[in-house]
Amino acid sequence: MPEYESVIGLETHIQLNTRSKIFCGCKADSWEDDPNVNICPICAGLPGVLPTLNKSVVEKAVLLALAVQADNILPISYLARKNYFYPDLPKGYQISQYAEPLARGGRLIIPSADGEDRVVNIEKLHIEEDAGKTVHQNGKRLIDFNRCGVPLVEMVTAPDIRSADDAAAYLIQLRRLLRWLGISEADMERGQLRCDANVSIRILGEDSLNTKTEIKNINSIENVRAAIKTEVKRQIQTVEAGQTIEAWTLGWDEDTETLRKMRSKETEADYRYFREPDLLPIRIDEEWLLEIKSSLPELPLARQKRFTLDYGLPDYDAAILTEERSLSSYFEATVKLSAGDPKTISNWVMNDVLRLIKEKKISAGGLRLIPKYLAEIIEIVESGMITRGTGKELLVNVEDKGKTPLELVELEGLAQVSDEETLKSMAMTIVDQNPKQVATYKAGKATILGWFVGQLMRATKGRADAKIVQSIFQELLDNDGDLGS
Amino acid sequence: MTDEITKEIFDYLVDLGALEIGEQEGEYLRSELNGQLRAIHELEGIAIDDDIRTTSHGIPYSRVIRAPLREDRIEPCKESDEILAQAADVFERYIVVPDIPSEELE
Amino acid sequence: MSEELCDLSATEISRRVKNGEVTAEEVLDSTLQRIRLVEGRRPSTNPYSPEGDDRNKVHAYISLTEKRARLQARAIDDAVKAGEDPGPLAGVTLAVKDIFCVHGTPTTAGSKILENFISPYSATSVQRLESAGAITVGKVNLDEFTFGSSNESSAFLPPVGNPWDPSRVPGGSSGGSAAAVAAGEAVLSLGTDTAGSIRQPAAFCGVVGIKPTYGRVSRYGLIAFASSIDCPGPIARNVTDAAIALQIMAGSDPFDATAAALSVPDYFSTIEKGIKGMRIGISPDYHKLKFPDPKTGEMCEQSVDEEIAEALSRVLDHLTNAGAEIVENVAMPNTRYGVPAYFVISRVEAASNLHRYDGVKYGYRFDGEVSNLRELYRKTRAHGFGSQAKLRILMGMYVSAEQYEKGYYQRALKIRTLIRNDFVNAFNPEGPYQLDCLLSATTPTTAFKIGAIYGNSVSMQYADLLTVPANHAGIPGLSVPAGVDNAGLPIGIQFLGPDFSEANLLRIGRSYEKASADEPWRRLQPKVLHA
Ligand SMILES: [Zn+2]
Repeated sequence: MPEYESVIGLETHIQLNTRSKIFCGCKADSWEDDPNVNICPICAGLPGVLPTLNKSVVEKAVLLALAVQADNILPISYLARKNYFYPDLPKGYQISQYAEPLARGGRLIIPSADGEDRVVNIEKLHIEEDAGKTVHQNGKRLIDFNRCGVPLVEMVTAPDIRSADDAAAYLIQLRRLLRWLGISEADMERGQLRCDANVSIRILGEDSLNTKTEIKNINSIENVRAAIKTEVKRQIQTVEAGQTIEAWTLGWDEDTETLRKMRSKETEADYRYFREPDLLPIRIDEEWLLEIKSSLPELPLARQKRFTLDYGLPDYDAAILTEERSLSSYFEATVKLSAGDPKTISNWVMNDVLRLIKEKKISAGGLRLIPKYLAEIIEIVESGMITRGTGKELLVNVEDKGKTPLELVELEGLAQVSDEETLKSMAMTIVDQNPKQVATYKAGKATILGWFVGQLMRATKGRADAKIVQSIFQELLDNDGDLGS
Repeated sequence: MTDEITKEIFDYLVDLGALEIGEQEGEYLRSELNGQLRAIHELEGIAIDDDIRTTSHGIPYSRVIRAPLREDRIEPCKESDEILAQAADVFERYIVVPDIPSEELE
Repeated sequence: MSEELCDLSATEISRRVKNGEVTAEEVLDSTLQRIRLVEGRRPSTNPYSPEGDDRNKVHAYISLTEKRARLQARAIDDAVKAGEDPGPLAGVTLAVKDIFCVHGTPTTAGSKILENFISPYSATSVQRLESAGAITVGKVNLDEFTFGSSNESSAFLPPVGNPWDPSRVPGGSSGGSAAAVAAGEAVLSLGTDTAGSIRQPAAFCGVVGIKPTYGRVSRYGLIAFASSIDCPGPIARNVTDAAIALQIMAGSDPFDATAAALSVPDYFSTIEKGIKGMRIGISPDYHKLKFPDPKTGEMCEQSVDEEIAEALSRVLDHLTNAGAEIVENVAMPNTRYGVPAYFVISRVEAASNLHRYDGVKYGYRFDGEVSNLRELYRKTRAHGFGSQAKLRILMGMYVSAEQYEKGYYQRALKIRTLIRNDFVNAFNPEGPYQLDCLLSATTPTTAFKIGAIYGNSVSMQYADLLTVPANHAGIPGLSVPAGVDNAGLPIGIQFLGPDFSEANLLRIGRSYEKASADEPWRRLQPKVLHA
């Protein structure tokens, strides 16, 4: 059997997170709202209504085009009508873009563990309106228009992806980028990022494009991976059995983890595209483009790389810290406010701050533990004023109570007990009160030393340096409870 | 004169338009369409210079008359119930339609 | 018949209402009284055959909104009593073409498919006119979805009769509008013009109609036919009234991206200023008309009716006397392509615009058994649309369907540019003609008999031969009455001007109106008023 490679192109639909819909003033986000509440004459397709284009939709789409290094952001692009009958499409046409999309060309880089980054070329990017939802319930077909007119960006890749894993990695990168840019929540489960995959196979080494199948509406990254793997396997089996691949449209059934052929529509799709006469062309002049460009942040991969160079972080750390824009900015702000070692700060952020963020379900930018406070905590831990353990608790306390670290140290007397005389007298008391344990130690069970340390740590609420405490006890017990003077 | 829009083409158009047209009405409509097409074909003989543009509208939308794009503001609509009241079949705020024959999985 | 309140001009009515001489409610009552007198039976979607005095009545209104109108009238009268400004159209009765959405009223588009639709919102034009004090009396008949030039394609029959001879058509598609205004059933009407649908019925009914520049008036709430050319505009009994209405309707609208962001000039600061030194052109291409024989496709040539041509030359005399300079032989070579280009552009857009009528969200839904959604669509649309709508859908499908489309639409759009270039050249201040406006007959004939052309879609479309070029070009056109023919039927002429030159057109129209004020036909009244 020859070796095959898969040829995959992804068509993604990205819900932009604008406040209002693309062509009307209705609220765009209807998550958990009742059906048909966020509708108006315009998005419900009433007779006589007209669309008006939301400026923010263009800006967010252009931002994405810039972020994927689009070769051509068209100075004039057009909205077009895609005509077809479907009950979730109240006008009987979708306002989309066709021959003149917002942007053409571009690329998304997928970093890979083997160090060989893959480049996925973007063919085009355009804006369009979302359709409503159809639901099956009690044997009825029910229509909800809330989602009608929610802004979408359609981004289509070239057939550059060679494995199901790379397809998943592409989506992970895309999701990271969208959230980074702040243009979409990109939650696949909520349909904010949707994916269709075009899949074909060929014998490794050939560069022909064979008949492809289209897998529609896959709703999670894991499902994308599974669906593509299943389809590639099916295609190889089909070809090996001497049969030909037909250009089917397939649906992924999540429950049974199988692909199923979708019945073709009654009429072969003839969308009769033409320019939307109700809207003027979209003009993106130099001035506007510059304005949008100026709001383009440093992108995740660039920042990741810079963190390794500027701060000497391991690539692993840099990747985690730049997973999300707010976290990466948080880290960097802390570094700038602190005299400490970036790697130490990275450890704090990756462990303690990240845990806090996950627990509280907020972003780094929303923490009351602002970078300044984290820098202070790290500093007083490093200086020995408080123990590492106290530092970790303090961090949570700052977040919960909204007070500064130094206030809390003062208020709760958290400063480390570093006065050796105090520690010694406390240790003596413990030795005096526990003759049984002293006898055990004398009998040669040296491990009980830890128990003595623990007692003192408990007495100081952990504010003592365990190493010092241990040496005090050792001396005391070895010298028969008599500290040499 | 042969009909440009044959019966077969006509049936295809009827399908594309989600219509249903009886024999008699169909014959009338088809002959009208062919009459209109004869007029339309007059356009094919016109010489059009390369510099003639296609425009979305007759008037040019120069910078001075172009309306600005809409700002991203929510303007809630109070008439959603009135809109829904126009639908022939509504169930728990959903619009109800008969079953859809296409796109079922096999 | 003596002059009633409903026969007064908008200017006069609002003056009297404002100073308390009459109440808005009295104006409304006078209008309703006239409606009772001339309307005849209310048009409906029931099977129709002419009976009784059907052919002697106007049948302009599909629905009356009397309750709503009375509330409006009382609000105006209250405002007057409270010393508040009731607006420039205080108490002026308005007939709204039933292609505009008016909140809380049946809005049918003259189609069975929208027979039971109650609009949950109002069109911008309607809302502006009502805010200015106009009282919406009802919704007037039209060709189904404006698809026609005679009003006969409406699903609501009896068809509208021309008040000057009710056995004849009022023109279309704003036939109900023009007829209602002519018969005093409203002082003003709101119409739409996609190929001549304001100007042609205005001409047939002896009233004034203006098709503004595309983008001058918001299309929001106007049920779309051909979105790239549809234009709302007023119909009135004199030029000044048309100017008042347009003044209120015009201007940018946050709900219409194609409404021009251009301030509206004060039409009244110039309307009485005369036309001394203006250059007014006439073109042989608007006199000798070429069109294909509907049966054979052979090109025929025909001139505008002789009586209309004679009326036009009397107009020229008046204009010359008023100081205008007449420029003859203006070349408008692409005029004849207006109709075929329109056959393509309007059909592609119309077919798409009619997609939304599917029985799901509003309007008619087929109520028999259906096995699936597709069947519901087909049956609903088959029963809901009339034959003219179906024709437009099918042609739209043909010229845009992937496998038949031979660049028809793109080619037609280029021809639209050619047609526009004719006008650009004529109006170019540095060009060969340097016109302020082009003058022509509005229609090649006067009103034809009901049933004479209906059913022949090609011949019907060529009734728009003289009006449709302005729609392609997007430029404004003003049709004004210019006499009657031997049968006593009104003759209309139109002034076409450059983009956004409405102020000039109104000024020219007004000037002609004054110059011809003494002509005997000015004192004639529509036949229905003598019945
Ligand atoms: Zn809406």
